[in-house]
Amino acid sequence: MSVDVVVWCVLIASGLSVFIIPFLSPQLKSSAAFILVLLIAILSLVLALPALRGSPVEHVFYGSSAFGNIPVRIDALSAWFILIVNFTCVNGALYGIGYMKPYENKKGNSTLHWILFVWFQVSMLAVCVVQNSLVFLIAWELMSISSLLLVIFEHYKPETLKAGVNYLVQMHIGVVMLSIAFIWVYISQHSLDFEGIKASFNHQNSAWLFLLFFVGFAIKAGFIPFHTWLPLAHPAAPSHISGVMSGVIVKMGIYGILRMVSYLNSELILIGIFVLILSMTTAFYGILNAAVVRDFKRMLAFCTIENIGIIGMGIGMGMIGKGTGNTYLMLVGYTGALLHTLNHSLYKSLLFYTAGNIYQQTHTRNMEHLGGLIKKMPASALFFLCGALAIGGLPPFSGFISEFIIYSGLIEGLKSDNIQYSSLMMLCLSGLAIVGGVSMITFTKAFGTIFLGSARTKLNETPKEVSVVMQIPLYLILLTTVLIGIFPNLVYAPALSVATAMSGIPSFSGNILSMSPVLAIIGRVSLLMIVLSAIVYFIRTGISSAKPAVYLPTWACGYSSINTRMQYTAKSYSKSFAKLFSFIVSEKKKYIEIGNSKIFPLNIPRTFTSNYEEFFEKNFIAGINKRILAFMNYFMFIHNGRLQMYILYGFFFIVILIIATLFNLL
Amino acid sequence: MVSLLLIVTASLFFTGIIIRTKSILSGRKGPGIFQPMKDIWRLFRKGSVFSETSSVIFQIAPSIYFASVLMAIFLIPFGNMPGIISFKGDIIFFAYILALGKFFNIISALDTGSSFSGMGASREALYSLLVEPAFFILMGSSALLTGHTSFHEIFSSLHFGSHISYAVGTLAALVLIIIALVENSRMPVDDPKTHLELTMVHEVMILDNSGFDLGLIHYATNLKFAMYGALIANFFLTPGYELYYSIPIFIGVQILFAMVVGFVESFMARFRMNHNPQFIIMLTSISLLIFLGVLLILGKFV
Repeated sequence: MSVDVVVWCVLIASGLSVFIIPFLSPQLKSSAAFILVLLIAILSLVLALPALRGSPVEHVFYGSSAFGNIPVRIDALSAWFILIVNFTCVNGALYGIGYMKPYENKKGNSTLHWILFVWFQVSMLAVCVVQNSLVFLIAWELMSISSLLLVIFEHYKPETLKAGVNYLVQMHIGVVMLSIAFIWVYISQHSLDFEGIKASFNHQNSAWLFLLFFVGFAIKAGFIPFHTWLPLAHPAAPSHISGVMSGVIVKMGIYGILRMVSYLNSELILIGIFVLILSMTTAFYGILNAAVVRDFKRMLAFCTIENIGIIGMGIGMGMIGKGTGNTYLMLVGYTGALLHTLNHSLYKSLLFYTAGNIYQQTHTRNMEHLGGLIKKMPASALFFLCGALAIGGLPPFSGFISEFIIYSGLIEGLKSDNIQYSSLMMLCLSGLAIVGGVSMITFTKAFGTIFLGSARTKLNETPKEVSVVMQIPLYLILLTTVLIGIFPNLVYAPALSVATAMSGIPSFSGNILSMSPVLAIIGRVSLLMIVLSAIVYFIRTGISSAKPAVYLPTWACGYSSINTRMQYTAKSYSKSFAKLFSFIVSEKKKYIEIGNSKIFPLNIPRTFTSNYEEFFEKNFIAGINKRILAFMNYFMFIHNGRLQMYILYGFFFIVILIIATLFNLL
Repeated sequence: MVSLLLIVTASLFFTGIIIRTKSILSGRKGPGIFQPMKDIWRLFRKGSVFSETSSVIFQIAPSIYFASVLMAIFLIPFGNMPGIISFKGDIIFFAYILALGKFFNIISALDTGSSFSGMGASREALYSLLVEPAFFILMGSSALLTGHTSFHEIFSSLHFGSHISYAVGTLAALVLIIIALVENSRMPVDDPKTHLELTMVHEVMILDNSGFDLGLIHYATNLKFAMYGALIANFFLTPGYELYYSIPIFIGVQILFAMVVGFVESFMARFRMNHNPQFIIMLTSISLLIFLGVLLILGKFV
């Protein structure tokens, strides 16, 4: 099929959603949306797969005089992201069918929700392919708005609405940055086509222009200090939406950055070092916060920030490689970043969907209230465990593959002749090692607290395993993760070709990146690890089954009346770690000190609460917010709530317009 | 293959030598050096007691932990003979496969729902996190020095030339010894012989394990010790030596290493809990010194 046919088909399918979904019975709305999402996914894959194999397609639509020509280009980079978007969205829609069942009675709400879900997917696909800056901004905006409305599904909760507004505002700061950058390009090149960006990178202050683009996209991607929307929006959204948001919408920011990087040809080293250091800080900061929070969806959101940091490290490395002429480093960096993008979209959506299972059954996001769920929800426990292992980059899951590639890149970068780069790479190497270690703390804590031990509080309903419909997409993702872990070359080869296409260098001398044999060995070794564990377990069971096992209460050092409240909590688990880094994650305790005279404090109900404050939120954002609000107070007289005044403003505006036309100012 | 056989051999008497050294230094005769192995053998034949709170994780974790240590040993070379598995970048795989084992060890401790196990798990996770950068800087420096990223290639192209390289070699051995002490929960970070649950690290995590599982965990600890011993020994196995030289060197290094551990345990008290992180972070600075040394050797300072 040619490009224009597919584009029209996709647009018609998304338009159809408006006419079909409202008129269906509540049970069928979600299934209809799923079918549409699947249809759009298949249609777009028709174009993406050949592009991934190395034959980019292009079609120029003629817009109006305002838009000019609208080129739709699907090259390898777009195709890679189309693939990721589609896989996560299809799984998300499938999971949503089960997850949204309890909300079916809210008819209008769920109609809007499912229509927007289809639009959301289409807008993300559009972002990947459209290369006209005006249309790109419209698609970008559509993506932000539709995801906002998806996030505030439970809009009657004040904190959800607050998170939504925060998201809306931050996204628009990003849009402002992007618009300025695009206008800059338009003024210098008189072209809305993305080719113009390449041209303007070539002959002027490319670092500043890149910085504008970078900030614009980094707000979406969640690099610090632009990450503050993530830990608010993700917990607020329904779980299938947080999975899709964390899995792909932040990746659209990464797509934007990669797209700009592919156009960049000068100042690569400077920008590369900047991106590398920022990414390492992002990774470390993200995982540090993830390790201390109690809300498990918030924890996953912080963990997304960490993974964005790891992806960014790959991008930074690639840029330094390109700048210094080290082709190997460049390819390793870009390939690592692309693969990590894919892998993260897989296991992060897996984890968010599993978090959805837990939330649906227990109605709490506080892990301190849970415990022992593995016996009630064994399948969910399996998903969470595998997701946790994968996100920690442990073999035999896919996370290890991309982390391995990024580590190899860092070690390659060490060998650089310049001592500055060597030290930088060593810093990143140890940084990444620490991030891996903290990620182990984070996920042993989460898994241990939620699924192991015994229940810490009595829940209103006994949790039970979720329906099969909700399990199918999770099994699918799990299978993909393990497959990639054992046969890494399935995805490595395409990722490498994307990286090659992106680098802008037409051909390389010989087989420069000979990593696929190594990856094949890693796959086999990971398989061996599984087999070996199975053998040891088999022997163990064989021998110990001769003697009957005895089941007794846990040893409590002789204390006989233990209860479940005495278990180690998530907070105490990460306390000793948090104390070490208290200069970043400061603990805020709230309690009333017992005075000297009150040796036996009576009749006052005493409470003690403590939570960890987010460094940027507290030290930067809060201060800026306060100043902006104080400044805005001076303009309160304009916003006075009297209708007459507002009509007067409109009148003034019209008068000004007329005068301006009279004097030919417009 | 040779390295696997030798490591397994060394693991049989390693802990025995530590205990024997400690006994002699405290003026006792002490048990034979195979006593720890006999204890493990006895555990293997015993039945198990499981906690009622525990789940399937508790059952599979010891096997996975043991398998992960075995996998890590497969990667260790012997002089210029590669390990059973050797590929570019296996130093990264080594660290991550051990982390996998540790992950399961930790969640199996949390599975019992005991607050003491949780305490131990929290500490173990923290200490192994703090060790990680030291190991990666050490391995990164060796990769930088030799230009290779697999154990086999690193050790077979490592050679001592200048004064700095001796200093670097000594520091590397020191770092590896301390890493081994931390990872195997020995003094001065953890006291394996303590009887107070509140102050335990590793021992309290396996408080509820018994029978075959406990034997597996204990034997995995022995293997891990011998594995780090083998890594240290590899620094001294200059390529080109025949087996009849290198095997005695290997065994000698293992015995010396075990005796050093015994000495440290006899003459040092355990650190206070909150001093442990400082001690372990110190490791990172030593490995940074190694990095500087390597940069000096390569003449990167102009």
